[in-house]
Amino acid sequence: MTSETLEAPVTPSTTTEPAWLAARREDGKTQFETLPAPSARDECWRFASVGRLSTEGYAPSNTISEQQLAQFEARSNLVTERAGSMVYVDDHSARFESISEALAEKGVIYLPIAEAVEKHPELMKKYFLQESTELGSEKFFGLHAAQVRAGSILYVPRGVEIAQPFVNYYWTSEERVAVFPHTLIIAEDNSKAAVVDVFFSEKEENEALNISVSNIHAGANAHVFRKVVQDWNEKTVSFQLDTTVAGRNAQVKNLAVNIGAARARYENQTRIEGAGADVKMYSLTVAEESQEFDQRTFQTHNAPNAVSDLLYKNALLDKSRTIFSGLIKVAEGAQQTDAYQTNRNLLLDPTADVNSMPGLEILANDVKCSHGATTGNVDEAELFYMMSRGIPKRIAMQLMVFGFFEEVIEKIESEELAENLRQLIHKKFGEKIS
Amino acid sequence: MSDIDLKEQKEAINVDTEKGNFSYPENYEFDAGVGLDEDTVKYISDVKNEADWVREFRLKALDIFNKKPMPTNWATEDLENIHFDKIRYYLSKGQQPSRSWEEVPDDVKETFERLGIPEQERKFLAGVEAQFDSEAAYSRMKEDLEKEGVIFVGSSEGLEKYPEIFRPYFGKVIPSSDNKFSALNSATFSGGSFIYVPKGVKLKQPLQAYFRINAENFGQFERTLIIADEGAEITYMEGCTAPKFETATLHSAVVELVALKNAKIQYITVQNWSSNVFNLVTKRGMADEGAEVKWIDCNIGSRLTMKYPGVVLKGKGARGEVLSIALANNGQHQDTGAKMMHLADNTTSNIISKSISIGEGRSTYRGQVHMPKHLKNCKNNTECDALLINTNSRTDTYPAITTRGENNTVQHEASVSKVSAEQIFYMMQRGLSEGEAMSLAVNGFVNELMKAFPMEYSVELKRLIDMEMEGSVG
Amino acid sequence: MSTLEVKNLNVSIDGQAILKDFSLTIPKGEVHALMGPNGTGKSTLAKVMAGHEDYTVESGEILLDGESILGQEPDEIAHAGLFLAFQYPLEIPGVSIANFIRAARAARLPEGEEINAVEFYKELYEKMDALKMDRKFTARSLNEGFSGGEKKRCEILQMSMLDPKYCVMDETDSGLDIDALRIVSEGVNLMRGSDRGFLVITHYQRLLDYIVPDVVHVMFDGRIVHSGDAELAKELESKGYDWVKEEFATATA
Repeated sequence: MTSETLEAPVTPSTTTEPAWLAARREDGKTQFETLPAPSARDECWRFASVGRLSTEGYAPSNTISEQQLAQFEARSNLVTERAGSMVYVDDHSARFESISEALAEKGVIYLPIAEAVEKHPELMKKYFLQESTELGSEKFFGLHAAQVRAGSILYVPRGVEIAQPFVNYYWTSEERVAVFPHTLIIAEDNSKAAVVDVFFSEKEENEALNISVSNIHAGANAHVFRKVVQDWNEKTVSFQLDTTVAGRNAQVKNLAVNIGAARARYENQTRIEGAGADVKMYSLTVAEESQEFDQRTFQTHNAPNAVSDLLYKNALLDKSRTIFSGLIKVAEGAQQTDAYQTNRNLLLDPTADVNSMPGLEILANDVKCSHGATTGNVDEAELFYMMSRGIPKRIAMQLMVFGFFEEVIEKIESEELAENLRQLIHKKFGEKIS
Repeated sequence: MSDIDLKEQKEAINVDTEKGNFSYPENYEFDAGVGLDEDTVKYISDVKNEADWVREFRLKALDIFNKKPMPTNWATEDLENIHFDKIRYYLSKGQQPSRSWEEVPDDVKETFERLGIPEQERKFLAGVEAQFDSEAAYSRMKEDLEKEGVIFVGSSEGLEKYPEIFRPYFGKVIPSSDNKFSALNSATFSGGSFIYVPKGVKLKQPLQAYFRINAENFGQFERTLIIADEGAEITYMEGCTAPKFETATLHSAVVELVALKNAKIQYITVQNWSSNVFNLVTKRGMADEGAEVKWIDCNIGSRLTMKYPGVVLKGKGARGEVLSIALANNGQHQDTGAKMMHLADNTTSNIISKSISIGEGRSTYRGQVHMPKHLKNCKNNTECDALLINTNSRTDTYPAITTRGENNTVQHEASVSKVSAEQIFYMMQRGLSEGEAMSLAVNGFVNELMKAFPMEYSVELKRLIDMEMEGSVG
Repeated sequence: MSTLEVKNLNVSIDGQAILKDFSLTIPKGEVHALMGPNGTGKSTLAKVMAGHEDYTVESGEILLDGESILGQEPDEIAHAGLFLAFQYPLEIPGVSIANFIRAARAARLPEGEEINAVEFYKELYEKMDALKMDRKFTARSLNEGFSGGEKKRCEILQMSMLDPKYCVMDETDSGLDIDALRIVSEGVNLMRGSDRGFLVITHYQRLLDYIVPDVVHVMFDGRIVHSGDAELAKELESKGYDWVKEEFATATA
């Protein structure tokens, strides 16, 4: 992205933005312009094809017709039972299903960014764009801060529990569009909420740039579950920069299914600030052709007695690449920590390329920490076992590979979404797995 | 418990923890002076009366060393505390290594006697080389091995007398440009062992080298090259100590192993440098078809050790192994690991790393497993286990694994644990002291791995661990 | 030709001969037990019959109802009617028991035909009840985290659901306590009949108290060295295998 497109007025609303936000955007812009481009010498970018990461030549979309917007309504339907929903196309709003009056009366806030900034300035000032990634894409977080306009703000007050999820869809449509989706979840003490973010492309052939950010703040004993479905077309360059801050006894789950994009950088960091917190990080990636998935994770334990558990599974077809780099950091004094990290890679093609860097930094001694990384092909003995039951090789392979996916999918806690994802994956890869 | 308390306790319990902590007055014929430039390198080359190609090799390496930045983009900032301009790069008494201990100068002989080297030689070694600062003071191998064509000499002698054997492999397994410290060694190397084991010759007893630093502000840069010809087998052991000086000492070795078809090389290190030594060593072996290279690496001493023994699995069916134990006490950082480069089908590698961090000690594992090409049926297994003794102990694990190809399996597992208060209580209830209980638990932690070591070394290692563990509980 | 017939089978692995001119005929309606010390080739035989590719068949034949199954893919052999109950059943993560058995049944149907889900589950539950398996198991991943007994019961469940013509059971009794052994044996006995043949491979006589064989074969060094009725198994139990070895040594001396 050139600085020219950066300076262009993004939406009319930016002109009326409060000074604090304008300043934050200005900082972001400076950050983007001054930080160096990723370099393979940098540990944060080790093994990554940094040459394929250019943000040049993409621009935000300025207008879109109502007719165009309307057609995305019906197609944004992975989850039917929901507490609220937004649909964006090239960062223009196509749907905003507000929350029920009952929830509104309890003080729940679910709003697009601009409205939230206008109606709840103090809340936004405190949380919006305050948690940057620390895993290498700080430069791109800066660009996001400067440009973001599409996204959802969810605030769940103390003690309020919401059973149904909020579902946000982000579509790209135009050629060489840049989008900057944002998810902010603030769950106060003893509250409960779930959010599903879905990333889709309208057309297979149009190139796009995505820099999305999500920030979760989970208060004491809050329960938050965020699910991500990333199925951009394979012309998209995507940065997904997610952070979670977990308070005392908070229970947070992150689950991502990533099957799209040409080049997907996924940074996911969790900071445990409260004792007794329990954070889960699950990811399933299926890669094909020349796709490259670059996953960087960080589990920081700053408080004792907490649990974090990470499971990242990757299946690779064709000459695709995956990079997993994870770090568990247990700070001094964070005793009785249980932290785990597992990366499992299934190589389905001899030309695919798996890179795994599971890391630990432990500064407290009374901890249970372990990590494991395995890479291999489909197990021949298992294949024989299945075939000996009369199952043809192709079907046996499919069963095993989809069985490999199940460990993540079964954790999704929504049979509807799980089934839709199984079908999505089957449609995209079913023919290839044999 | 403060550092001072720990130290006092240790000294009260067993003065032997300071076994290597003594030195003799300096008395050197040749001294390259302080600091490093072209003249320093030329001086070393002149003293050794080297061939032009060796001198060129050194000067080229110096250039690389000067150009390469410190690897602080991934390694510890403590490297910045090495002052290359304050180090002395070559010190020797200017004599050939003696073939009998009687001919060794008294102070040097006494040094090695205090370290028990002549005794070990009599007991179980096939040959010994004892290096004092820059050059070997003693070098001897059993006569029957000489008759079989085994060559066991210092680096200078090896390059001078047997260039046809050593030159083809010298600097080939580890090029000068591999890293900043391999470049430094290539520019200033002196001493070390050059060994050639002819086809089919299998050494029943190990050869040993002992590296001793005596002088303050000194840098020791020995260079070792071991070639096991087809079907040959050799075990080589090295030990090292230095006195505890006020200022930092640098030890930066390069060790290259070449195992030709079906040969086996086992290389054992017990590093017990004093806690002011920067120990920055590059070690790598090349394994041809059916060959095996095994590194057994124990790091007990030093201020900072950075060492990642590697094996380049070049021929089909080659095997590589790194078994390591690191013990990081207060003020120490053991930054160790392993590298396995799989370059042929059916190659297997195994890495087992056990580390123990005591007090504010820090142990780090860095690993690299690389199966970059379209290989078949390769296997790697890596296990890293860390034991943390005190609440402020630290451990890190940073593996990097790249896999491609068919029917390859790579498995990495790491765990972190501590000795539980209940375990200690249980053992104390049976009448053990707290320190003994802790030692027992730590020995249990490394026990499985130590079984793979030759007996003499596991005994020595157990003794060293016991000593380090004394007074660690608090 | 209602038999499972192994004729002069010679099998090796990595150049080492395991089965040496091995022959055996199992007619439908009979249960044959194959006993012998460890390492005589019993499990190799089972795997070769099921089409495992790690073994090299030097010569010989395996005929199922007169048709050769040697060289066929494992699934084709299964379709022909041979079921192997594994000594060590594999764990298949993420694939539920129900889905697995359904896929195995579906693979036997002509193209276009589908399984009636209601009937399938009815049958599955009945059979699980008979084997005293918790119905909740259907949703669990195949064999994953199962105890030894649960794995073996799951093998018998599959055997019963897939209705094979010939069942080869490889050390099904290993890892079973006495209760599990009884339940598994009952499951097998229910399947006995004139339309099915069994080869029960075992090291111990214990299993044969529950599954009473028609014929007992003693295997040693890659071939059958003795055959007899159920009494032979008891004789083996009391005398141990050493006499077989001695006898064999004398015979070949």
